[in-house]
Formats: sequence, structure tokens, C-alpha cells
Amino acid sequence: MNPQSFLELIESNQYEWANTTNRPGQNRFDIDVADGRLLDAVAAVTGLCDCYLVAITGLDPGVESGQLWVLYHFAHRAEVATLRIILPREMPIVPTISHRLPSASIFEQELGEVLGVLFVEPGTDDPVYHSRLFIADDWPEDVYPLRKDFHGLSEPA
Amino acid sequence: MVNLDTVRNRIRNWGLGNSPWLVHYNSGSCNGCDIEILATLTPRYDLERIGIKLQGSPRHADVLVCTGPVTRQSRERLQRIYDQMPEPKFVVAVGACGISGGAFRGCYNIMGGIDEVIPVDVYVPGCPPRPEAIINGVAILLKQLQPQRAAEIDQLLASEFPPVSEPVDIEYQEDALNEPAELLRTH
Amino acid sequence: MTTTQATERFIIPIGPQHPALKEPGHFEFSVEGEIVTNATVRLGYAHRGIEKGTESRNWTQNMYLLERICGICSHIHSTAYAIGVEQLAEVEVPPRAQAIREIVAELERIHSHMLWLGVAAHDAGFDTLFMYTWRDRETVMDILEALSGNRVHYSANVLGGVKFNLTEETAETILKGLEFLEERTHHYRRVVENDAFFLKRTRGVGMMTREDALRLGVVGPTARASGVDRDLRNDAPYIAYNEFPVQLITLTTGDLEARFLVRIDELLDCYRVIKEIIAKLPDGPLTVARMPRKLKAGEVISRVEAPRGELFYYIRSTGGESPDRIKVRTPTLCNMGSVVTQAVGHNLADVPMILVGIDPCFSCNDRAIRIEGSINRRHDHLWSWSDLRQYGIDFYRRQLDYSGEINT
Repeated sequence: MNPQSFLELIESNQYEWANTTNRPGQNRFDIDVADGRLLDAVAAVTGLCDCYLVAITGLDPGVESGQLWVLYHFAHRAEVATLRIILPREMPIVPTISHRLPSASIFEQELGEVLGVLFVEPGTDDPVYHSRLFIADDWPEDVYPLRKDFHGLSEPA
Repeated sequence: MVNLDTVRNRIRNWGLGNSPWLVHYNSGSCNGCDIEILATLTPRYDLERIGIKLQGSPRHADVLVCTGPVTRQSRERLQRIYDQMPEPKFVVAVGACGISGGAFRGCYNIMGGIDEVIPVDVYVPGCPPRPEAIINGVAILLKQLQPQRAAEIDQLLASEFPPVSEPVDIEYQEDALNEPAELLRTH
Repeated sequence: MTTTQATERFIIPIGPQHPALKEPGHFEFSVEGEIVTNATVRLGYAHRGIEKGTESRNWTQNMYLLERICGICSHIHSTAYAIGVEQLAEVEVPPRAQAIREIVAELERIHSHMLWLGVAAHDAGFDTLFMYTWRDRETVMDILEALSGNRVHYSANVLGGVKFNLTEETAETILKGLEFLEERTHHYRRVVENDAFFLKRTRGVGMMTREDALRLGVVGPTARASGVDRDLRNDAPYIAYNEFPVQLITLTTGDLEARFLVRIDELLDCYRVIKEIIAKLPDGPLTVARMPRKLKAGEVISRVEAPRGELFYYIRSTGGESPDRIKVRTPTLCNMGSVVTQAVGHNLADVPMILVGIDPCFSCNDRAIRIEGSINRRHDHLWSWSDLRQYGIDFYRRQLDYSGEINT
């Protein structure tokens, strides 16, 4: 598959789950995914060619935004396609993609623990991850260090 | 009347007159200090030459050599390792992180220095400290534990690691395959 | 050995720590007889909170913080960061600087692979090979020190270029050192390919097919040993890899032996490419004329080939003096899952080598292992790493009756 075609393939398809798209660079393609359509988006992108999930980035765009973002980065050679989902800050719930992509589970767990995003079994409310992988066992519940409104623990360690 | 504690201490101190045993723990460091500590065991530096042994179990160790800024998750383990060591016991904190948290000072998941968790006897600064500096730190401790050997230790260090005041020639052994391991560096 | 179904998640953490378990463990294995039936992992011991820390440091300060994510591959971290920031700043780094960056990157790969070779040898019971490789590795440390002034955390990069030049004299030193190392590396290759005990522990052990490697998301030499032809230096060349490319080294056997051979062959290619760069080093300045202190808003993605595999950086700027978000995804994170998956079905005695085969980037000495099930009639369920290592050595020694250089 020649180097240009992964992103060209994506660009040439009219995906009904894609809200807005953006090409911030020659090798990059960003797509905002409509609410609830993450699994369709992942299936579509991974079905295109021999691309792989590079990483999942969780991000807090600021308390005022009322949002949390999750970015799924898929790469083929030099090209990276990023799917972005926007979650309401008060209820950041996302279906897991780890059934299709086992390597996603470790990325999801990390993100979930530090940003406070809840990953659930698709179509249900059941949390996927029940115990901590990264954050210390004695770290307080419901405190998410990567959120913008976290400025350190006030209690002595 | 014999004070059993005094007797035990004297026996213990006598024990330290032989080879103190070191145990090494990484409390969340980047591994930079740890690889320099491991390097002290290799032929070029050979820490064991000055009369010290690195081994695995804290239950038999005299000295804990510790690196890292002490992450929250590793703090309990560090405490347990320290608790498992019999008295008298000593701690060497290696690297800037071990001293104050280093580059990570202020990061949310670190305690910020080994002495936030356990008492430290010797601090070896550096990021990471060179193997020579680590050996020097251990030697300082050793001279405290074995004052009768202080002069001998100084001499061992002076002959093996003379101060470097000019650029060093790096030499390569042509015949390395057939020779036993030796110091490559010449002064 | 059978592979797990695609629908299973393979990372299941151990915690919260059971009160009966005195110490938090890195790994937990369930065994029946000698065979591992379940494996789980607990990370977090090296979790420092660096990503959050970057948000309160400026762009320049972050270079020093991110370098220290890993003492073994600090240059590749700072390179990934610098490349990303330079993209945001829209500056073009001069070719001489890019070439010097590549030299340091390949020198770092050499030191990392040799370090790993020694550690792997030690974990297999070959302490003499550990001593030899680490002694020889001192040559690279000397070279890096001659170039940069430090053995570890050489801090070669500034935003917009490099800090130090490569003089004729240093170039001579490097070439002499590489000549020595090349000969030594050929020796290691012979040991790995021919030593009976070594082969017993590595040939056919830890098999991972190409399909498994792809499904599990494995990266780096671990993946290339299973026929996955991904190497970012070729796929997405950065710094000077367009001008000075590397060879793609893959094998299809997919066992531990293959992982050794791929890394050793990568060493040989590192020597070649460094020599080539030195011979054709472009002239010119070492940095751009100016780097802005505030960067314009935007997001960049930086992907580079660390010694352990693909390193990923996502950097977001909202126009300030500090980043809004930096996300770092290290290669070991990708490969960790494959360890727990592969361990299942193998002898417990193979586990140390399976773990070491991915070249894990955490300290070798402090891993506590919890074993469920009776093994060797040991009633103490908590093992140290050296217990597990020794178990592996003894297991194979009984099998082979080897009277060679197994040091305990």
C-alpha cells in the first residue's frame, strides 16, 4: 500500500458518523466522531488497511468547556488518523474498544484512572475495569490528577 | 552483668568489619542511577573490591542503596524493605531524585526524596552520579562503619580512581576475546 | 501454545492489594505444576505524574523533565519532544544538528541494546556474559561522555538544534570505539547462536506469531522478531534518517532467540550508520537562529523509534509558555500485555526470559512476584525477582546438566 493512501482512503469516504474533519498536516487527519458512534468509527478505520492503534490520549480542555476529550490515534506508516470523541464532563462514559483491539485495554485503563473517564461494556453501563493498574492503591477515589482542576492533594501524603 | 544488646551490637559491628551486604531498591527512578549502580559491579569499577557485597534480600543486608523520588505506590514497599533489615542498618540515597525528588519535585505522585520515608545516612548527588561518585558515597559510609579500615579504604580508592585532571585517553583491548576482563581506562 | 481469543482483555490488574499480601507485587502468576495458568500485572511503581508536571513547566524546562522519563533512552524522549515543538514553532532545524541527533540516537540504541544483552544474560544465568557486555558498553559510555559531558542524560538537544558539535577528534574516538564494539558484537552473536544452554532457554520459547504480535500491539525489536515490518526510522523518517537510513531487520521465527538476534543485528547496523554519518556529516550551524518562547496554538504528534520500539508524543499548545497537554506513550507499555499473555501456558521457569525478551523499561531488581498454587512445595507465596530468576536457571540446569558458566 503506497504511503499516501491511508489518509486518502479515509478522506474519500463519506462517513455518516464523522462530524467535522481536519487535515492539520500532510500526514495527519483528524475526525470528530458523532455521539455514540465510536465503535462504528473504529471499525471503519481499522477495516481500511493494515493500520494500528498507536495510543489513546485523554485530555481535559478546561473546566469551563464542560467537556473531556478522548483521542484515538491510528497509524499506517507515517500517516496518523485521529478520532476524537467529546464527552460531557459530568458523565464521561465511553464504550470499550478492547474487544476488537486488545491493545486498547492498557491505554483505556491509564486514561480512565488519571482523567476519570469510565469505560463500559458496549451497550451497557457495566464498567470494564474494576481495579487500579497505574494509580496507587491508596490514592483517593474520584480524584483525577490529569484534570485541570486538580492542583495537588491537600492531605499530607 | 552482660548487656545482651551491647554484646549483640559488638558482634554485629564485628560482622561489619567483614563485608557489609548491600541491598538495592528503586523507588520509582528513571533507571539512570540504577544502571550506574549496576555499573559499579562491573569490572571497570568493581565495587566489591573495596569490601562490599551486593545481594538480594533485605533480611541479611546492612546497607540499603536506594534511588528514586519515592512514588506513592512504592513507598510502602520501601518502608517494608527498611523494616525487614536488621539493626544496625544504614541508607545511602543515590541521585538527585533520592535527595529531593530531583527533576520531578512537585509532581503529584512522588513523596520527594527518600528521607521523606526512611532515615538516610549518606546522600550521593548527581543526575545520575557517576559510578565513582557512588563508590565514594559508599566508601564514606564504610569508613564510618569500619573506622579501623579508613586509611586502607582511602588508599584503595586513590589507587583505583585517581583524580582526573586532564582529558583521558580511551584505549581498546585488541585481544579482548582471550583476556579476562580488565579495566579499559588508563589514567 | 494456544493463543487467547481476540475478545479477551489481557491486562487484568491485581489490586487492590490483598491484606494478606505483605508487599505490593508487580506480577501475579497462578500455576498448576510447572505451568502458568494465569498471569496479571500491576504497574504504577514508576508512575511519577510527569505528564501533569509538564503543564507547569515552560517549553524549555520540559526538555529536562521529559529526558528523565527514562535514563536508558533519554535522548529519544527529548528528540521526540523537540521534533514536536519545532513543528509547532515552524522552525527548520539545520542538517548538521539533525545528523548529530541521529548519531546520538544510534549511540543510545547501542548502549541500550548492550545493556539489555547483559541483563538478559544475567537473568539467564550467564553472569560472565553480563560482565563482558557491560564492560564493553563502557566504550559507548565513554563516547557519549566525550561528546556531551555526561554518561547518562547526555542532554544533546535544545529546542531548535543540538548543544554540542562533533569535532574531528571526537569522530576519531567514535570510529575507534565502534571498530572494537563491532568485533565484540560478532562474538556475542556467536554465543547466542551456539551455546547449548542459551539455546535451550531461548529457541522455541516465548513463541509469538505475526498475527499475535499485530493483535497484541507489540512494537520494536520484539515485534520485528515476529515478522512485523515496522520501524519508524524507515516508515516515517525523522531527524536525518532520510539522508542516512537504517536497514529494516526482521525475522520470522518469533521466539526468544529471534529477539536476541534482531537486537544484535540492529547493533551491527547502528555501527554502520554512525560511520556513514560521520563520513558525510553536513556543515553548518548547530541550532536555528531563534526559538519563540511562546508557541502558537496547535496539536502535534511525534513518533520515533526508541530502542524498545515506537515512542509516541502528543503535544497540545494553547498559545502559552507552557504546554496545555503532553501525552507520552512508551513502547514498554505496548509490550507489557504480551508478557502476561505469553506467560500463560509456559513453564514458570520461562517467565523471566519472556519478560526480559521485551526489554522492559523498569528497574530489574525490585519486582516482587506473587505465585498462586504450590510450586516446588514452597509455602512462601511471595517471590523476589531473583527467586524467580534462580528458579528458571535451576530448572534448565537440571534439564541439561550443564557444567558451564552458570553463576548464581
